[in-house]
Order: sequence, then C-alpha cells, then structure tokens
Amino acid sequence: MAELVLAAATPHNPLLWRAMRDPMPDDLQGVAAGFARIRRAFAEHELDAVVVIGTDHLRQFFYDNSPAFVVGKAESYHGTWENEVRTFGMEHVEVTGHRELADELTGRTVLPETIDLSVSLEWRLDHSFVIPLQYVRPELDLPVVPIHTNASMPPVPSVRRFVALGEHLRSAISSWDSDARVALLTSGHMANDVGGPRTFAGSPDPEFDRAAAAWMRDGDLDGAVSVCSDFERLLDAGCMTYQYLNAVAALAAMGGRPADFVDVAESRFASSPFFLWEGKR
Amino acid sequence: MTKYMVDKFMRWVELSDERVAAYVDDPAGYVEGWLGAGAGAEAASDDRELTAEEQAAFAARDYAALYALGAHPYLLWHFTEAVHAHEFTPEVGWRELVERYRAAVAPQGLVDYIP
Repeated sequence: MAELVLAAATPHNPLLWRAMRDPMPDDLQGVAAGFARIRRAFAEHELDAVVVIGTDHLRQFFYDNSPAFVVGKAESYHGTWENEVRTFGMEHVEVTGHRELADELTGRTVLPETIDLSVSLEWRLDHSFVIPLQYVRPELDLPVVPIHTNASMPPVPSVRRFVALGEHLRSAISSWDSDARVALLTSGHMANDVGGPRTFAGSPDPEFDRAAAAWMRDGDLDGAVSVCSDFERLLDAGCMTYQYLNAVAALAAMGGRPADFVDVAESRFASSPFFLWEGKR
Repeated sequence: MTKYMVDKFMRWVELSDERVAAYVDDPAGYVEGWLGAGAGAEAASDDRELTAEEQAAFAARDYAALYALGAHPYLLWHFTEAVHAHEFTPEVGWRELVERYRAAVAPQGLVDYIP
C-alpha cells in the first residue's frame, strides 16, 4: 500500500520571491533556513507524489462559484497568473498532475463518506501552490494533486472539516494499492492581515502565533480545534489568518502527533510557519 | 448585494495587465464602460451594477471609501497596488503606498466584507 511519509506546512508569502535572493537579507535568513529544512526532507524521502493543500486567492475560485474543498484531477497545471507575475515577479511554470492519486482521494464514481470534495480538471494554480513547491522542490519534478481550501471567502468550512480532510487524506493514501511514497505539503499563514487595518506591519497577533506554533509542537489538535472553531477570534488575528487551518489539516493527517520540526521565523513580513512531520525513510 | 460587484470589478481589473492600464488611463470612463458592456450571452449572469457611491469611489481610485463600502480586503489591497504602481518613484514607492493605505483603513477597523 502507498504511504504518507511526511507532511509539511510552510508559508506561501509571494513577496518572498523578490525579497529572498542572494545575498540573503539578514531578516530573511530564518525563512530561508525553514524552507531549506523542508526541502531537505523532500529530497531525503524519495517521494513519488505530493498532495499540495493551498488556498487560491480569489483567482481561480471566486464568489461566483466558491466550493469548500477542491481536488485537482488534471493531467497538468499551468502555474501562476498574469497579475502574480506583475505584482510578485513570479514566473509561469508547468506542474504535472497525478491523476491516479487524485482518483483515489475523491473516488472515481462516488465521493468518500467522510467529506464532500469538489473536483476540477482545469485549474491555474496561484502562488499558494507554486511558491511552496518552488521552495521545497525547485525541480518541480514530482507529480502533484492540488487541493484548494476556501479559507478566504466566508462562509468557510469549519476547522472540523479541515481535520476531516486531513484524516481522509491519510486514510485514502494508506489504502491506495500502490507502493508510492507520498508527501503532504500545506501552506498558509500565521496571523496575517493583508488588506486589513494591520496590513504589512509585522505579525498582527503575536499571541495567536505563539499558540498556533504550540499546537503543532505539542500535537495539541484539540487545542487547535477549540480556538479555531471561533471564526471571530481568527478574524481578530487578521483577515487572512484562516489559512492557518491548512496546517491543522496536516496535523490531523499525521494523527495529531507533535511535529518533528517547528519553527516560526520572524522577518519584515508576518510570521512564517515551518512545521514538519517525518515518517520512516 | 453590490459588495459582490465591487469585488468582481476589482478582480476583473487586477487580473489583467491590459485592463489595469486601461483603467489607470481613465478610471471614470473605464468603470462606466464596464457597467455598460455586460458579460455576454454565455455568462452565468449579465448583471453589472454599482451604486453611485461605489462608482464614484472607483472613478477616484478611493481605497478608503472602497474599504468602508465592504470591499474584500485582500482584493482591495492588490487592486490598490496595481492601479497606483505606475506612480511609484525612487523616493515614494510601495512602502509609502502601504503606509497610506493602512492609515486610511486602520481607523475604520474591520468592516464587514462578506457579500
């Protein structure tokens, strides 16, 4: 059977793409080191496929059609949008899809009992997918199954649905009749307020950041669920903070056990999360 | 209801370099043209409407007003960045725009942006 051999959570801050260049600015050394740690894990585990959880930023999915969770079933994906090339200096990329794994995750004919997933066969990936992939696997040589979570257009799925998503991924991968070694790569933020009253002024809520790191370090899934069940609390931490729940999905996928590596890097930007769970090599 | 249209217009403009340039060239004329153009028979809906206040805010590129009207914060910031970037100089650039934007929206706190 296939195996979920590692899970990781990283930032997907697209402003890093221009800022994090050699010579590396002092304040971004920690962010670069966090990505390097995850990149090393991806290299060491001899992976065959990556499930990538991100949150599209109102590009592909908008209020005209806003599903809770979308699984990509395309053979390949174009990476990033014209506005992200303009605004962030990103580059267009091509990413190969993993159709067989996508079918395992969604079911070919009937969706899984535990979670109602949407599917997409035509999807341009935005920075929440491309940036993490480019930093942890610059070769872009592993086939992926992207999963969009709606964390930015209320009504959003509850934290328990993110937990259900993570648990489903673990279960579906481990019952896949394959010898594939699969990684889960999620991305999001700690407290983050892009466009809100505390935009681009460091972390809008260091207290939330400390608690959010502790849930991962301690394997405290109940603690994460308890606080993240309160949408208003997360909104108080910043208008885009709900994307932290992508890391909660990773924690759930790894059975709620403490992460093997936890670092929250401080820089000119909002805090950058790096969480890593590793299995056997 | 029209919060959705505010978001839809910002997204429409910001996604495309060509549309950003056209809007920047003539904000009031571009908004008027967008409202009158419609989306075509194959679109889910051909409705395009903005209140007079929303239309005036777009004509003036007034991000403080758009924020107060309930624009989605993430879309609003990137729309604002896109339609002001041509004014950046070596002395007054991105960071100054951030500071001005934050000074404009911070006194308003978090506005209900759910359409």
